[in-house]
Amino acid sequence: MANPVRTAALLAASWTVLSAADGSSPLELDLLQARCAQCHGGEAPQAGFLIGSLVDGSDQDSLALWRKSMEYVRAEVMPPAEAGRLPPSDRRKLVAFLEREVRRRSGQPSHASGASPRRLNNRELANSIRDVLMIEDVGTHQPLADLLGDTLQDGFDTNGDALGMSQYHLEQYIAAFRKVVDAAILAGEQPTRRRYVVTAGDMRMTSLSQRRRQERANRTVESIDFLDPRLRVYFSNFESAPASGRYRIKIRATGKDRGVYDAAETGIHDGDPIRLRIHLGDRTRDFDLPDEKPTEIQIDEWIAAGTRLELSYPTDGLRLRGNGNFKFQFSIAHDHIQKTNPELYAAVLQERLPMAPARTARSPRHWSHWTEQWQGPRPRLFGAEIEGPIYDRWPTRRQAALLGEAPQAENAADILLPIAERAWRREVQSSDLDPIVRLVQSKAKDGVEPQATIEALREGIVAILASPAFLLINSQEGSAADRFASKLSYFLRGTIPDQRLRKAVRSGTLQGFEEVRDEVHRRFERSEAEEFLKEFPYAWLELDRINFMAPDPDRFPLYSRKRLGDDMVAEVLRFFRHAVESNVPIPELLSADYTFLNADLARVYGVEGVPQDSQLRKHEFIDGRRGGLLGMGAFLTLTADSLSTSPIHRAVYVLEKFLGIRPAPPPADVEISEPDVRQAKTIKEVLSAHQTNATCASCHRSIDGYGYAFENFDPVGAWRDEYTMHIAPRPSQAAPVEIERQDRQRFEEGLPPIEKPWNNEPIPVDAAGRLPDGSKYRNIIDFRRHLLEDGNRERFVRCFIEKLLTYANGSEPEESMDLEGILSKSAEHGYRIVDTIAAVIDSPLFRNE
Amino acid sequence: MQVSRRIALKGIGGALTLPILESRASASQRPPTRFLVVGNPLGMHPDHFFPAEFGKDFTLPETLRPLDWVQDRITILSHTDHGMNNGHGREISFLNGVLPENSSAYPEKNVSVDQLMARRAAGRVRFPSVHASLKSGIRMSWNANGVDLKPFTEPQRLFDHLFLNLTPEEKAQRRELISRNGSLLDTIGEQIASLKGTTSRRDRERLDQYETSVRELERSFAARSEWIDRDKPKFDISGHFAGSEVTIGNHYDAIFDMIAYAFETDLTRVATVAFPNELSYTSIEGVTRGYHACTHNGKKEEVIAELVAIESFQIDQLARCLRRLDSVREPGSNGTVLDHTIVLFGSGMGYGGTHSNRNLPILVAGGGFRHLGHVDARSGSGNNMPLCNLYLTLLQRFGVERDQFNTSTGAFGLRHG
Repeated sequence: MANPVRTAALLAASWTVLSAADGSSPLELDLLQARCAQCHGGEAPQAGFLIGSLVDGSDQDSLALWRKSMEYVRAEVMPPAEAGRLPPSDRRKLVAFLEREVRRRSGQPSHASGASPRRLNNRELANSIRDVLMIEDVGTHQPLADLLGDTLQDGFDTNGDALGMSQYHLEQYIAAFRKVVDAAILAGEQPTRRRYVVTAGDMRMTSLSQRRRQERANRTVESIDFLDPRLRVYFSNFESAPASGRYRIKIRATGKDRGVYDAAETGIHDGDPIRLRIHLGDRTRDFDLPDEKPTEIQIDEWIAAGTRLELSYPTDGLRLRGNGNFKFQFSIAHDHIQKTNPELYAAVLQERLPMAPARTARSPRHWSHWTEQWQGPRPRLFGAEIEGPIYDRWPTRRQAALLGEAPQAENAADILLPIAERAWRREVQSSDLDPIVRLVQSKAKDGVEPQATIEALREGIVAILASPAFLLINSQEGSAADRFASKLSYFLRGTIPDQRLRKAVRSGTLQGFEEVRDEVHRRFERSEAEEFLKEFPYAWLELDRINFMAPDPDRFPLYSRKRLGDDMVAEVLRFFRHAVESNVPIPELLSADYTFLNADLARVYGVEGVPQDSQLRKHEFIDGRRGGLLGMGAFLTLTADSLSTSPIHRAVYVLEKFLGIRPAPPPADVEISEPDVRQAKTIKEVLSAHQTNATCASCHRSIDGYGYAFENFDPVGAWRDEYTMHIAPRPSQAAPVEIERQDRQRFEEGLPPIEKPWNNEPIPVDAAGRLPDGSKYRNIIDFRRHLLEDGNRERFVRCFIEKLLTYANGSEPEESMDLEGILSKSAEHGYRIVDTIAAVIDSPLFRNE
Repeated sequence: MQVSRRIALKGIGGALTLPILESRASASQRPPTRFLVVGNPLGMHPDHFFPAEFGKDFTLPETLRPLDWVQDRITILSHTDHGMNNGHGREISFLNGVLPENSSAYPEKNVSVDQLMARRAAGRVRFPSVHASLKSGIRMSWNANGVDLKPFTEPQRLFDHLFLNLTPEEKAQRRELISRNGSLLDTIGEQIASLKGTTSRRDRERLDQYETSVRELERSFAARSEWIDRDKPKFDISGHFAGSEVTIGNHYDAIFDMIAYAFETDLTRVATVAFPNELSYTSIEGVTRGYHACTHNGKKEEVIAELVAIESFQIDQLARCLRRLDSVREPGSNGTVLDHTIVLFGSGMGYGGTHSNRNLPILVAGGGFRHLGHVDARSGSGNNMPLCNLYLTLLQRFGVERDQFNTSTGAFGLRHG
C-alpha cells in the first residue's frame, strides 16, 4: 500500500528540482501528487513505477518515464477510472506540463529531430541502381539475389539502427553491382540475332519440387495444357537468353474450360479470367487469356544473359482437395464425369483399373485414374517464337545515354560525373571523382582495347555505387536543397530524386506548405508515389507478420489453400490507396463503414451477393461491426495465434498502431502460463488471472480493455458468436471402443473417466469490456463508437503522424513543438490525409534544418 | 557406378593421423564449433525411432542401435514440429520452419539454420558450407534470399571441390578478381577518407562502420589469396571405390569421410548430407522396394522391415561418421572433434506412412552439450514445441548472437559445457 506521507516527502524534494528547472507552477505538482502519487508511491508502487523516479537520475534516464507518463495521461489511460475522474481542464494542464518536461529533457533539437544516416535498404537499393543506370530494373538475372536481408524494426525497413554495414554486406554489394553493370553495359562484339521457333513438343513442364518425376502433362501434338499451378513450362530449345539484349517473345495460347467444373470444387471463381504468367528470371508479366480462342501474346523486353524463360499459371485455386497438393484435384474429374457422362465413366474405369496398382484399383475415385480427363480451368499453349538479341544499334542507345558515343578513358571524369550526381544525389565536383578516375584510367591502361575502356568504366560505375555517398542516405552531405530533394524522393518513391524534383527544390520552390501539398498531390495523381502507397501501410501495420503464426491449416483450411493472407494484405493496401486518392480525413481509416473485398474475403466476412471473382471492390457494411482497419482480416489474423485469438495481442496492436502507446512488456520474472485449450475455458476466464494477480493487474487494467471487443472475430477474422475451438474432432473408428474399455477400467479403480473434448458444448463469446477511463462497452459496435470520440480521433492522427515520421526518418520522433505544429496544421485541414502528409514533409522534423 | 580414375590414382592416405589445419587457426586459438546436418525427406518410422521412455535412462529403439556407444551424448526430441500441413512437399522446411510461399514474412526469407552458421564461419575457413547428397538432394539449405543451395551429388565432384588444388588458370583468375577487388576497396577507402574530413559527428559514426567493413573485407581477401596458393589438405577416398561392386554404402562412406576430414582440417565448419527419396536403396540387405513405397506399407510387417532397414542404413552412416569424428582429438582442447561438432539428424516430415508433419524425428549429438536423452518437448498445455526453438539454441551454441530464429518462441533448454 502506498505511504502518502513518504510520497509527499519525496515529491516535495522533487518539487524543488522541477520548479528550479523551468519554474512550473506548483499546481501541476499538486495534481501529480494528488492524482498519481497515491498509487505510484511507497514501497510497492503500481506497475513498478515510482513517481519519484521521474526526477531521480539523469534526464536521459528519466526521459522514457516522462514519455510514458505523458502518453498514458494523454490517452486517458491514467489516472484510471477507479481513482476518480480527472476533470478535463486538469487533464489538459497535466498533459501540457508533461509534454513540456518531455521536450525539455529530449535535449538538443538536433537529437530530437531529423533522420539518422543509414544504409539503403535492399528495396531502395534496387530502385536507386535502376534509376542511376536509367534501365527498367536491375536485371532479370537476379543480380541482387545474394544480398543479406534487411532487419525490420516494428515493421519498418527504414530504421537507422537496424540498417548497419558489415564486410558481408560490402562484399555482396560489390559482387551484385558488377552483375548489374555487366548486363547493362555491353563490351566486345555485337552478338548475333537469331529466331527460335518453339512447337508444343519443345515445351516442357518442370516440377519445382525436389522429386523429379516423369513429366506429368496433358498434351497433344500441337498443344500442352497447364495442370498444377506449381509447375512451370520452359522451352527446350530456348531455356535461357544466350546474351544480354532485347528479345521479342510471342506465345500462342488460350484459356480452356472456364466454368466446366463447379467453382466451389476448383476454388477458381467463374468471374476470373484464365491468366498466363511469363517469368523472365524474377521479372513477371501477366496476361489474361480469352476463353477458347487461341491468341498471340507478345512482349518485347531487355533480358540479361542467362535469364531463364518460363511460363506458369497463376491462380490461388486448385488446392481444395486432399492435403492441398494439386494432384487430388483430379478427383473432381471423376465426380464430374460420373454425373455427366456415364459412358465415358465406365470406359475410363474399364481401361484404368486393371492396370492400376492394388492400392488405387479399389477406389474408382482415386485421382490417379482421372489425370487425362482433367477439365479444370487452365491455359493451353500452342507454340512460341523468340527473336533476339535485338539491338537498336551498337553500342546500344541505353549504353550511349550512359557513357556517350565513343567513351575514352581520359574523359572518365566527364563521363562519370552525371552518373555520380544521380547516384550521390548531390552536386559533384570533378575532384570528388579523382580516386575513381585514377582507378578507371589504370584499368584501361592495363587492359586490351577495345574492351578495356568499357570494362574500366564499368569498374568506375561499380566504385560510384560502392561509395558511402551512394549507399548511405540521410547524411549531412550536399546542400540543404539536395538533402531535401533526396529525403522527399525516398519517402514517396523509394529512390533517387528525379530531375524535375531536384530542379524544383534548387530553384527554391517547395519551401512552403501549399507548394509541398501541390507537389505531393501531383505525385499521387501521376502514380509517382506507388512505393509509399504500398510500403508505408505495410510497415506501419506490420503486414509482414501476417503469415507468422499463420492460422492452423487443419482448422482454417481456406486460409492456406486460397492464400487468404495475400487477399487480406491487398485489402489493406487498396483501402489505404483509396484514402489517399480521395484525400479522406485520417480518422476515417478507423471509422469507415466500408472496405474493399473480393469473393474470397466476402466468404470470410460473411458477405453475400458479391461478384464471384478476385477483384477488390468497395463494400459498405450496415451492421456497424466492420469497415476500416479495425474490421480487416489482416489485423485480426496477424494478432491471433494459429488456433486461438488473443485479446492482449489485439489490444497491444490497437494501442501501438492507432493510439501511439507502447505498453511495457511483462516483467522478466513473471511466469506466463499458456491458456489450456483442452479445458472449456474462455480466454476471458484465463485472463481473469490478470485481474486477481496484483502485479499483472496494474498494467493489464490499462491494456486488456482494448482487446476484448474483437473476441467475436476468430483467428482468420471471421465472425463468431460461440467458441468452438475447445471441441475436438470426434475420434474415428476403433478409438471409442478403446476409450470405453479404459473408462470401465478407470471406474473400477475409482478414477474419473477420460476427458472427451469432442462432447464439449460451444461457449458463447463475451466481447464486452471496460476501458481504463471507466467507460464500458457491450460489443464491437459500442467499442468502435468509443474509439471515434473526439479525444481519440486526435490521438489517432498524432499516432499516424508519428508513424509517417518514423518511416521517413528511420527513428521515432521525440515530443516537440514541431510535432504539435504538424498536428495543428493537419487539424486546420480537417485531418485530411494528403494535407497531413504534406504537413509532415514541410515540418522541420522532416526537412531536418 | 563407374569410378573415376582420378580418385583411384589419388595417393597419400593416412586418414586418422592428426591433420594439418587448413585455416590459420592454431592450437592457441579456441577450437572451432562445427555443424553437421544429416536429413531425409520422409521422416522415420516412429515406433523404431522414438524410445519408449523419456529421460536419460532409455532403451535405444532398433533404428538407433548403431548409436549405442554414444548414447549418453545424444538428445532425441519428441513432439517438435513446424506447424505444417500434413503431406509431402513441406519437408523442405526442415531447417527453417518456413515454406517458400510464406517466406516474405521474414526479413531473411526462409533462410535455413545452417546458412546462418555458414555466414558466421565465412572468411575464417575456405568453404562457408558444404552440401552433399546422391541423386537430386532434398532442398534442405536455403539462403537469406529464399534460394535453395544445390548439393554436390557425385562424390567425385565433392572431392574435386574440397581437395583438388586449383589449376594455374583458376589460380590466376581468382588472383585477378582479388586484386581487382583490392583496388576497388582502395578507391572506396580514399573516398571515405575525404568524406570524413567534411562531415558531422553523426555521419562519422556511420562512416566508421563503413570503414571497418572495408578493412575487414581487405583482410578477408588477404586470407583468401593465401588460400589460393596454399595446397589443400591431401586426402584419399579411393579405397571406397576399389571393390568390384560399388554400392550406395560406399558412396556415403566416401561422402562422410570427406566431410569429416574437411572438418578436421578446418576446410569448412558447416555441412549437410541428404538421403533422398529417388535413390535406390536395394543394395541394402532385405530392401526390394523404393523408399517412398516402403513408407506406405499398410502396416505390413515385411514392408515395415524394409523401411526400417533403409532408416537403419542412414543411422548406421551417421554413427560411422560420429565415430570417426570422435576418434580425432580436437587440438587445443580436452575433447574430440565430435565434442566440437553439433550434429543434427532429422527430417521435415514426421512419418511418410501417415503423411504426418507433426512430431518430427529429431536427434542431436555431440557439440559439447549436456545431453538430455529422450525429451518430451511439449509445453504444459500439450502443444508441440516449434523446432526453431532448438535451432535457436544450436545457433547460440555456434556463436551466432540471436534471440530469435524464424518461428521460434524461445530457446530450447539444451546447455553445454
